[in-house]
Amino acid sequence: MNVVLVALGATLGAYLRNELTVASRKVKLDFPWMTFLINAVGAFLLGVVTAKIGNKAILLFLGTGMCGGFTTFGTFNFELSQLWFQHRYVRCFIYFCLSYIFGILGFALGIQL
Amino acid sequence: MSKIRTFFIIFIGASIGGSMRYLISLFLVSGSGFPWGTLFVNLTGAFFLPLLIHYLYDRYHLSATTVLALTTGLIGSYTTFSTMTADTYYLFASGNMKFLTLYLIATMIGGFLFSLLGNYLAAIRATFYYRHERNQANIEQKKDTDD
Repeated sequence: MNVVLVALGATLGAYLRNELTVASRKVKLDFPWMTFLINAVGAFLLGVVTAKIGNKAILLFLGTGMCGGFTTFGTFNFELSQLWFQHRYVRCFIYFCLSYIFGILGFALGIQL
Repeated sequence: MSKIRTFFIIFIGASIGGSMRYLISLFLVSGSGFPWGTLFVNLTGAFFLPLLIHYLYDRYHLSATTVLALTTGLIGSYTTFSTMTADTYYLFASGNMKFLTLYLIATMIGGFLFSLLGNYLAAIRATFYYRHERNQANIEQKKDTDD
């Protein structure tokens, strides 16, 4: 049962991320800004959900499932290595730092709201 | 590609990826409190994503949208950024600075290195693949001219 909740949440999160990533291609910034935004917002939302929701089933669906599926570590590192292979080291470093700083601070902010 | 098809592909991928992440996190619970589960899924996911992307392109000649949907669903949901920030926060709050440092280094540096390694291996594999394809094409062409 718990696995089903996580799976459904992850589907919704991943679908939302896919739609946002596809839509974000229209704004060319030469920087994977949408994944950055998704990870920061997702970390913040996980903090809020963890703090506000006591029901374990809902927490699994929204937190582990949805926020977990919405945010991504795989794509983030793939984009980092793409920037690296294109010799855009400064951009790569900025993306790296911004993601971790805003992600961790986002969660801390969310859980203390 | 239709919206329904995209949703279906992501549904399959994300269900498998998300469930695997959850089951691994249950399986890798340690008494010490070190978040092995998140670290394991993130590092393996970072390594396999580039391999999977290149493999799907070469082997099945899928469109970019389909490959994106498949990998976004499967690996995107298998790995997680938000839980990683949660683990960091809890380690910091518990005052276990040794674990916090180890976890952050393993995640930040390890994730990046595994991803680079995955990309290198994918490139090497692709080189062999294209060489093989070209040789096959040359053989066929030669046959044609001989005839």
